[in-house]
Amino acid sequence: MALCIPLPSCRFRHRPVRSSLERQELFGRIAPVYDNLNDLLSLGQHRIWKRMTVSWTGAKVGDCALDLCCGSGDLAFLLSEKVGSNGKVTGLDFSKEQLSIASCRQGLAPNACYNNIEWVEGDALQLPFSDGYFDAITMGYGLRNVVDKERAMQEMFRVLKPGSRVSVLDFNKSTQPFTNLIQEWMIDNVVVPVATGYGLAKEYEYLKSSIKEFLTGKELERLALQVGFSNARHYEISGGLMGNLVATR
Amino acid sequence: MVRASLMLLKDAGRGFCKSLSQILVCPLSKQPLRYSEETNSLISDAIGVSFPIKDGIPCLVPMDGKIIEADDMPKADDAADLSSKNNQ
Repeated sequence: MALCIPLPSCRFRHRPVRSSLERQELFGRIAPVYDNLNDLLSLGQHRIWKRMTVSWTGAKVGDCALDLCCGSGDLAFLLSEKVGSNGKVTGLDFSKEQLSIASCRQGLAPNACYNNIEWVEGDALQLPFSDGYFDAITMGYGLRNVVDKERAMQEMFRVLKPGSRVSVLDFNKSTQPFTNLIQEWMIDNVVVPVATGYGLAKEYEYLKSSIKEFLTGKELERLALQVGFSNARHYEISGGLMGNLVATR
Repeated sequence: MVRASLMLLKDAGRGFCKSLSQILVCPLSKQPLRYSEETNSLISDAIGVSFPIKDGIPCLVPMDGKIIEADDMPKADDAADLSSKNNQ
C-alpha cells in the first residue's frame, strides 16, 4: 500500500503556485535549463553570492554539511570544496529531476573531492536526519519556495549542531520601495522575457508572487530567533536585490 | 556527453552508498533506517514503511514511503512484532 495522501487536482495555469506538489512539478520542469538561466539572468553573479553563502556558514575541513533545496548542486559543490575529502556533504531536494542533474554534474566533474557528496530526495519540512548532526547548513533560493517557512527553520535548527550556523540565500523582500520597483522591473522586463525564450514564462512569473509572499530581512531574523536560534542576522547583498540570513544555533 | 551521463547514472543506480544509511533517519518517526539489499530500499522498522532507492539516491519524501505488508517482512519474529503493534 503506497503512503499516499490524495491531493485535489491542481492545474498550474493562471493561479498562484501554492501547493508543495505544484512547486515540485515547477522545479522539475525548469531543471534542464535551471543552471543556464541562473547564469544568464544574474550575469554570473549568483556564483559570487553562493560563495558568500558558504563562507558565512563557517564550514571547514572535515565538517559534515547539508545543502537544503540543493537543486542542481551549486552550493553542495562549493561546500564539498570547503570540507574536503575528510568531510561530507549531503544535498537534499524534493525534485528528482534536479537531483539527477546534480548527480550527473558530480560524475562529470574532474575534481575527485566531489566524491564526498551524497544526494537525498527529501522534504525540507520533514528532514530525514537525526538531531544535532550537521556542522553547517546552506539553503539557496529554497526558503521562499517552501510552503511552511517556520517548519523549515525548525527542522534546520533541529539537525544543526549547537554553535553551528545556517546560511540562507534568497531574493530580498525589501522594505525600500525603490528597491522593490527595480526588482519587479527586472523580473517583468528581463527575467520573464528570457524565460519565455526557454518556454518557461509561467514558471518564472511565479518569482514575483513568491517574493511578495516571502518575509523581509527583519522578519526572517525574528523567525530564526523564535524557533530557537541564539543569533540571527540578515545581510542584504547586490544592492538589496538579494539577501542572506545567517543564524547560529 | 549525454551517453557518458547516462552511463554514470546507471553506475550510480548499481550502488547506494551504505555509509549514507548511517546518517539517515525515517522522515516521519526520526528513528534509524535499515538498508535492505534484497529490496534496495531503506526500512523504517519503527513504523513499518520502506523507502525506495532510485539510481543510488534514497527517496525519503514521506509520500515515497510504502507500508510494508506483514508477509513482506523477511523474518517471522519481525512480522509477529508488527502484527501485534497493529492490533494495539
